[in-house]
Amino acid sequence: MATLDALMQLPGAMAAFEFRGSGELLEHRIAYPDRLNDSILDLLAHMCAANMSIATMQARGWERMTSMKGFYPVKAFTLVGFDWSVVVSGLHREQYKQDGKFSLPPFMGVVMSNETANYEAAFAALENQEPTP
Amino acid sequence: MSMIKRLLALDGVNVVCHFRDDGKLVEGYGLMSQQEMLNLARFAHDYRRMAQGNADQLAMFTGMRGWTPPHGWILRGVAQSVCSVGNLVCLVDSIDAPLNDILLELREVSRW
Repeated sequence: MATLDALMQLPGAMAAFEFRGSGELLEHRIAYPDRLNDSILDLLAHMCAANMSIATMQARGWERMTSMKGFYPVKAFTLVGFDWSVVVSGLHREQYKQDGKFSLPPFMGVVMSNETANYEAAFAALENQEPTP
Repeated sequence: MSMIKRLLALDGVNVVCHFRDDGKLVEGYGLMSQQEMLNLARFAHDYRRMAQGNADQLAMFTGMRGWTPPHGWILRGVAQSVCSVGNLVCLVDSIDAPLNDILLELREVSRW
């Protein structure tokens, strides 16, 4: 689970987590159990799964309606909340799909404090690391 | 000069639009037709409402403070990304665009 541990090294990281396409929480790490717990992460994961699905519909629709390309597949979704942000990525799933694999790796995400959040670093960490086998 | 035009000076920003609370386009600049800017404004408005609703529900179900009201959202496509803060939305290149700077600038300009 090196990837989750690497995500926890990001500035302001409060939690790192994996979840299924249907939203169920899988492995996770929590830095501040007094603020976040697995029950909150589970709901957050479901919200992120829903947003990734809707964003994918919108990206496909936008590309069909316009002549613009490059929105689909959606690599990541970020919600910048009032104090916290969540960044989730399904990039590795797309790579598996393109390779014709049926068993897809989970989505991965990180919760960060806005005060010190580095979104570029979060995307880099989520997109560049090898998926968990 | 419109204040939101300065967002176009950031690397990787291709389009910036300002929309009203009902989703109507106020002004838009960049590499996109007027009709596409109207559609982008409407999309960003709808997505903002959805993200706000999701954050509200997350806060209600979990009791966790700090999610709402949300500042913005980013949808990162394979080559193009959409970033929105307040009533502003930008289309940016997914590769090499300085997203941290773009978000900071969006937050700054959205307060005007």
